[in-house]
Amino acid sequence: MLKETIMKLEERALNPAKAVASIKAECGKDAVGCFPIYTPEEIVYAAGFVPVGLWGGRTEIKMADKFLQGFCCSIMRANMELGMRGVYDQLKAIIIPGLCDTLKCVIENWKTAVPQVPMIGMVYPQARWNRAAEEYLEAELKRVRSDFEKATHTLITDKNVEEAFAVYEEYRAAMREFTEVACDYPLIIDARTRHLLIKAGYFMDKKLYMEEIKKVIDGLKAMEKEAFHGVKVITTGLIGEPAEILDLFRECEISVAADDIAQESRQFRTPARKEGSVWEKMAGRVIDQRGCAFLAEQKKSRGQMLIDMVKEREAQAVIVCMMKFCDPEEFDYPVYKAQLEKAGIPVLYLELDQQIESFEQIRTRIQSFAEMLI
Amino acid sequence: MTEKKTSKQMLNELVAQHYADAGKAKAEGKLVAWATSICPQELLEAMDIYVVYPENHAAAVAARKQSMDFLERSESCGYSIDICSYARVNLGYKDIMESDACNIPAPDLVFCCNNICTTVAKWYENLATELDIPFILFDTPFNHRYEAADHTIAYMRGQLEHVIGQLEEITGKEFDYDKLSEVMRISNETAYWWRKACFTARANPSPLNGFDMFNYMALVVCIRGKKEGRDLFRLWYEELEERAKKGLGPWKEGEEKYRIIWDGIACWVHLSPTYKILKKYGVNVVTSLYPDAWTIFYETNDIEGMARAYSYYHANRCVDYVSDTMLGLAADFNIDGVVFHSNRSCKLMDFTVYEQQRRLEEKAGIPSVVFDGDMCDPRVLSQAQYETRIQALVEMMERRKAAKEGR
Amino acid sequence: MYLGIDIGSSSSKAAILDDKGALIAHAAVNEGTGTKGVERALELVFDEAGVEVDTVKFTVVTGYGRITYEHADKQITEISCHAKGVSYLCESAGSIIDIGGQDAKVIKIGANGIVENFVMNEKCAAGTGRFLEVMARVLGCDLSDLSHLAGQSTKEVPISSVCTVFAESEVISRLASGEKRSDVAKGAHRAIAKRVSGMCGRVGLKDCVFMTGGVALNSNMVKTMGETLGREIKAAPYPQEVGAIGAAVFAKELYEKA
Repeated sequence: MLKETIMKLEERALNPAKAVASIKAECGKDAVGCFPIYTPEEIVYAAGFVPVGLWGGRTEIKMADKFLQGFCCSIMRANMELGMRGVYDQLKAIIIPGLCDTLKCVIENWKTAVPQVPMIGMVYPQARWNRAAEEYLEAELKRVRSDFEKATHTLITDKNVEEAFAVYEEYRAAMREFTEVACDYPLIIDARTRHLLIKAGYFMDKKLYMEEIKKVIDGLKAMEKEAFHGVKVITTGLIGEPAEILDLFRECEISVAADDIAQESRQFRTPARKEGSVWEKMAGRVIDQRGCAFLAEQKKSRGQMLIDMVKEREAQAVIVCMMKFCDPEEFDYPVYKAQLEKAGIPVLYLELDQQIESFEQIRTRIQSFAEMLI
Repeated sequence: MTEKKTSKQMLNELVAQHYADAGKAKAEGKLVAWATSICPQELLEAMDIYVVYPENHAAAVAARKQSMDFLERSESCGYSIDICSYARVNLGYKDIMESDACNIPAPDLVFCCNNICTTVAKWYENLATELDIPFILFDTPFNHRYEAADHTIAYMRGQLEHVIGQLEEITGKEFDYDKLSEVMRISNETAYWWRKACFTARANPSPLNGFDMFNYMALVVCIRGKKEGRDLFRLWYEELEERAKKGLGPWKEGEEKYRIIWDGIACWVHLSPTYKILKKYGVNVVTSLYPDAWTIFYETNDIEGMARAYSYYHANRCVDYVSDTMLGLAADFNIDGVVFHSNRSCKLMDFTVYEQQRRLEEKAGIPSVVFDGDMCDPRVLSQAQYETRIQALVEMMERRKAAKEGR
Repeated sequence: MYLGIDIGSSSSKAAILDDKGALIAHAAVNEGTGTKGVERALELVFDEAGVEVDTVKFTVVTGYGRITYEHADKQITEISCHAKGVSYLCESAGSIIDIGGQDAKVIKIGANGIVENFVMNEKCAAGTGRFLEVMARVLGCDLSDLSHLAGQSTKEVPISSVCTVFAESEVISRLASGEKRSDVAKGAHRAIAKRVSGMCGRVGLKDCVFMTGGVALNSNMVKTMGETLGREIKAAPYPQEVGAIGAAVFAKELYEKA
């Protein structure tokens, strides 16, 4: 039963195109694309669509070169390529947040490159310690609602948004529980399975996904905790892909005790505030998010956060999944690296891109790191 | 009476003065801020905080071929070779604090306006964290539409008010609104003369050599709010106007055959070869988007106008706006072609270059080339490759001229 | 007997320790993974040791070819093996700079040859042996002569490009503008040393630094590396075979632990 659910979800995550195509049959809803890093998915859900995550993928880049140089991050090159090839034409709209310089350019280029897919660009505030930032974000979220209504010919009431937000809060709580429980089952939920189970949620109606992930949580809890003699690590970075690196984790007996990955825990680790309107709560989650490379802080908290995670989950080391050409992540690294080293925590730096063909050098790195720690 | 100085003499003196004064200010116990190049420095100057500009400093270090030591330093701390070389030079400098080229004193606070890119916010966040000093961020949301939305303006105004509070706290003084008005007024005047001087290049031939514009730009960054700056740019304007009246071109020898826009930051670290290769083919850079970059015009004491002005810096605006501006410049300056610097340091500028290039071609038939380079990292540019690109552009421009003249 | 094998991208190495742990044979062959290089290296090393294959109690394989090699009892990465090997040959060793054909690594060693920390070069070939191969070709000399050529330099010509392809064209234009071959060769050594010294900064160097890998046979490279880092750098004894030796030491340890 547990195994079956896991396989079903893994299958989802491994075949995004197929997964998206099956959404309509499953719940009668159309899909809307959501770019990295954060988008107000609740608004999309409130309008009766299923938000799907667009985090690149392995593909040959032919058309995207018309807009983006080779030194652009491989996720954005892949998204641009897929958009231009018409792969996203079935999506009713897409939302792109301008959270880095590359994303800003992608918003601009999209207008010309993929005119057939309506795109809503949005801008999150960075000076988040300022009350004006919260007010701005609330207004920006409402602006997105209004543009989204126009693009999809829908009407989204506050009540719809409140309901959607409640679903998402439940989903986020479930995901926090999943990552905590999974930590005790490093063999069944190895690095690759952990990643795929989380990722599957980006290609399903959250209500349906929640049923499945809760089955996984309950199934795990019914079992005895697994003894593990390998190395427990915290992962950090934009995305834990390509999945081949996670196979190498398993091969080298490395399990993920917790993550600070933008595509994983950063999506759900910050719970909403108790008070305020739904718009305030939605804005509040972004304002309250800590230790994310894409949201500025007056003093960087990521290093200490990672140190705390290592201690709390009794991990031995931190593995950095560095997406090549990702400026925000590349800027954070030297600062938290120094802090981790000062705390005596070993750090493995893996420079990745989505189109990697050969994993030999990465294998050597991961294996050496494991050899060093065991 | 002493002999009147040329603007170039004044330029060199003022740049040297700027760095010397910064050191002196620090020694005297004044607060020093490191700030981004197009930020509301008016607020800092009004509070008597000495402002230095790491981008400018990095460019100066690179122009004197001293950047490698700092690049290597920051790379050895783990900074990727793929990120902005201004940042890498400065983050290396932060540790070493000594260059043969020129020096800036350690900051007591950092002041960042992200209208030039998101990257500067990451860079300044690192400085604030590692030096444990206040981080003031003026966040100007990117304008994906032509005009800034009302909530964006309100946000920026709210921030400026907040910044004023922060500065009062840091300095322990009440904010000096009179001084602010004065600095605002001078900044506007400086911007006026800077723009006017740059626009003399509309004359045919242009009295202005665009690489001079890059040199003067160093100063418009650092002493925009000071009377000396304003006077310098007025003098520069007068000199250029005089040259234009006499029909003088940009160079002592050689005639201006082609007039181009240089898009992007200069290759400070290879300034001379990039310049000489253009000149060899009679190509003069008559303008870029920079003449308008510091034309931050607003009514004195109008905080909202100030916010809007900073938010409308071209790197913070949509492709449509930039493209229209470039087409406007092309017509205004009678442009033959465009050189796009695909600058490994600047993803924000790079990743719309191809689209800008197409629009120029489609809408105005203007040829252009893209070359790979970098502003401070000497390892990126290949001179041979650069020259080949420039030659190709010259051939295209020549064909277009011939077609126009019915040759 | 304990056998260590190191199958690299462009060479194969083997080493044998006797039952007491003394190094009795080692050999290197300039043919890497996917060739008959391993067989040849094994033949050499067994001949040298004068022992039969069936006396081997445990075999450890390392290097890029380790995954596909089927006749070993265990595979361990070259990083662990280099640390182990250098520490076996010189107990006081603190750090290793290993410049191989495709990869450069800097390793910090702890007690008994354990790896404390390491970094590897990114995908780019700058800072690896491959860069020197390209330079040798452009300068029209054998790789083995490059060191000697650089030794004759009186005025180093800086090579600024990081990219191997750009560096190649830069060198060609330097030569065309009349720079001496020896000065350009020295510049090429410097370019690698600078790249690698950045990696040293990332991981931090301890005292007593050894260079390993085929490039360590190039005495000018060792010298230039030392100049660039401003500290003494020595070539490890048997720099090419040190990984295989480390693998053999592991073989003994693992056999005795089991």
